[in-house]
Amino acid sequence: MSPSERATHPGTTLLIVEDEILAAMALKDELEDAGYHVLDLTGRHQEAVAAARDRHPDLALVNIQLQGRDDGIEVAVELKAMGIPVLFISGQISRAQSAKTVAVGSLPKPYSPIEMVRAVNYLLRHLKGDESLPCPAALEVFDHPQPGTAPAPEPAA
Amino acid sequence: MAARLPANSDESALSLTLAVVASSAGPLLLLDGDLNIIAASASFCEAFDIDCATTRGRQLYDLGAGEWDVPPLRALLDTAASGDPKRDTDEIDLVRPRHGLRRLAIQAQRLVYFDKAHPRFLVAVNDVTEARADRKAMEEALEQNSVLLQEVRHRVANSLQIIASVLLQNARRTSSDETRGHLQNAHHRVMSVAELERQLSASAEGAGNVHLHTYFTKLCDSIAASMIGDDGQLALIVDGGDSEVTARVSVSLGLIVTELVINALKHAYPDGQSGTISVTYTHRGPNWTLSVHDDGVGMPTDPALIRTGLGTSIVQALAKQLEACVEIAPGHPGTKVSVEHTQVALIGDRPAEPAVTVAIERPAA
Repeated sequence: MSPSERATHPGTTLLIVEDEILAAMALKDELEDAGYHVLDLTGRHQEAVAAARDRHPDLALVNIQLQGRDDGIEVAVELKAMGIPVLFISGQISRAQSAKTVAVGSLPKPYSPIEMVRAVNYLLRHLKGDESLPCPAALEVFDHPQPGTAPAPEPAA
Repeated sequence: MAARLPANSDESALSLTLAVVASSAGPLLLLDGDLNIIAASASFCEAFDIDCATTRGRQLYDLGAGEWDVPPLRALLDTAASGDPKRDTDEIDLVRPRHGLRRLAIQAQRLVYFDKAHPRFLVAVNDVTEARADRKAMEEALEQNSVLLQEVRHRVANSLQIIASVLLQNARRTSSDETRGHLQNAHHRVMSVAELERQLSASAEGAGNVHLHTYFTKLCDSIAASMIGDDGQLALIVDGGDSEVTARVSVSLGLIVTELVINALKHAYPDGQSGTISVTYTHRGPNWTLSVHDDGVGMPTDPALIRTGLGTSIVQALAKQLEACVEIAPGHPGTKVSVEHTQVALIGDRPAEPAVTVAIERPAA
């Protein structure tokens, strides 16, 4: 990974919602090495939503299959309502595709943690309109108005 | 003794026709030009609970309790009566008293014979209800198996992702560069298989063939993300491979690509040298060639400097499994490693020539 990719990202906080703790640990290490602050790992819906409400991360990396019967798409719906962009990190590609409106992109498993760092680097800039980084090949971006970027709806008559 | 000729050959011919129809093992009807029944086979009457003695001169639509009077059957017979040969077979649903809904395959054919003024139609009727139900059940079972197989593939991919993550965690925590390199290589090998499983899980069948260009591109993207910086010094391109092979073959090809690309990235471009690595797959009939070509420093000329490691062993073993030979040649510049499978007819029971063993790994830069 190049020095620019290792650059710190002060104040940039990420939330990982993943039921496979070992995969999540590897991801957390790599993202922290890249300078991100990563919140405590969780694989549960309510924990993820509570952490997001408390810390308001800049981006949430959400697996679709979570612990128990928790579902990452339902988590994404709540996170989007809070204005937190979601990146799906699931091998369930068709389900991720079906939930494009609640996420900003999808990086399907299997991914290497380094690929994920590049995807996060790109997405955080992309969401601010900065296209200075190339979009990683494995990342699918769901371009549509996101919370905070969409024009305000017309007030009801 | 000579056979006695019939008194009237027309009557004899009709008698013979009626006898043939009546004795048909498959349900059969002979209709006249107005679609009235001339003869019905005993098998037809038995299969559809009809008194054979009452069929002659009646319209097919009048049989039974009127269940034969359905628009699809009328349309089929009208088509046959018009002489249109394009659509003389159809399947119709018939609601039979005491039997419920039955699916019938009906073939209506205008007979070609010398008396064009009096057309005749032969109608074969087969009850295919059970056959269609069996086929539907089989299709549902296959669909269910496919879904299950996709789920298994998905879970395998997830499990491999976990193993790859653990290997990478170990690599990060070891203080030995050599050990770290081995663990990172193992990570790439596991990811190679994981990517294949993911691609298979996304395919409609779950056990189908793998599109090589897509697979190799994903593999190379993953390797490039880990081993190539974004300074644009090195490029990794995939050429060809616009064909599909079985999952079993593709997993071997994917591992070979992984080994050869990692090897080139590690050794072909010392001191930050720039260049391009090309992964190419071509095929002609059953013969194919997979090559990895770099434009780096090339192989050392001193054989003593060439060592054989795990990567070499893996490529050789997989090539042998694929009944392919490995060849290393100068790339002008760089090095080109080709794995070539040539389908050769066996002579007697003699097996194909084994793959030639050569070293693939270069000395560390």
